[in-house]
Amino acid sequence: MKGQEWYQADEIAEAYEDKRFSGGGRLIDRREKRAVLEAIGPVEDKRVLEIACGTGRFTVMLAERGADVVGLDISTPMLQQGREKARAAGVDEHLQFFRGDAGRLPFPDDHFDAVLAMRFFHLADTPVAYLEEMRRVSKDIVFFDTFNRFSARSIYNWALPMGSRLYSRWEVNSLLDEADLELVGANHDFIVPYGFYRAIPDGLASAFRSVDRAVSAIPGGDRLSSVSYWECRV
Amino acid sequence: MQEELLDIICCPLDKQDLELDVAEREDGDIVAGTLTCSECGEAYPIEDGIPNLLPPDMREDAPA
Repeated sequence: MKGQEWYQADEIAEAYEDKRFSGGGRLIDRREKRAVLEAIGPVEDKRVLEIACGTGRFTVMLAERGADVVGLDISTPMLQQGREKARAAGVDEHLQFFRGDAGRLPFPDDHFDAVLAMRFFHLADTPVAYLEEMRRVSKDIVFFDTFNRFSARSIYNWALPMGSRLYSRWEVNSLLDEADLELVGANHDFIVPYGFYRAIPDGLASAFRSVDRAVSAIPGGDRLSSVSYWECRV
Repeated sequence: MQEELLDIICCPLDKQDLELDVAEREDGDIVAGTLTCSECGEAYPIEDGIPNLLPPDMREDAPA
């Protein structure tokens, strides 16, 4: 599993959100949160599990909306960040964190209403095995994103500290087949890849985002997207 | 960790129930202790309030 050691360092965990989701990164954060809510919301009183929850960006949001949330991650420093955030938001009663392996989840079959994994599959060495585990513990929804092959992501991918696994739509469909999941919705976005939004000044980021969305809206335009969101049912 | 969570977690290896042994509590929360599988006997530590349910081969002290 890529990232297994990388995210164990305290300084990586502490800098994680600032590095990725400030400035132009805020647009990414907002888009990802919308994707999650559209796929699994309304979440009130639902049981939700997030795999590789990291610093709790999504788990805290879901707990604030009334879900009973469990966050699982391999890294203690990332989970400690999540716990602090949950306490600050006053949702620590409804949000529990565990350290665990996404390939061998410590939960019984069909326990959750929804199971999600964001920014996880690009680090996954055995994606089918992880999807099957997500399916096992979910009784309804499985939601995840992928970074796409045949997109601008391919261009800067080599420069990333731990590399990143890219998927074609065909590959995702065959993974879902193997894991016995039914695709019910797919959204494709970010022709301009994440790294670019983080690199440019704030003001420019929203201008680029408008162009990005306009091109995505052209028929066939979303073929160039660097990110896809996949909503599946068990 | 809250005690009620015992209802939703299980041994990552054989998915059997875990038994809780509390070493330290703080305002009702369990901050240190051990979760032991009722079937295979594998023990999982609770560290700083976060249960470590990583399978034994993935822990830091596991031989590479």
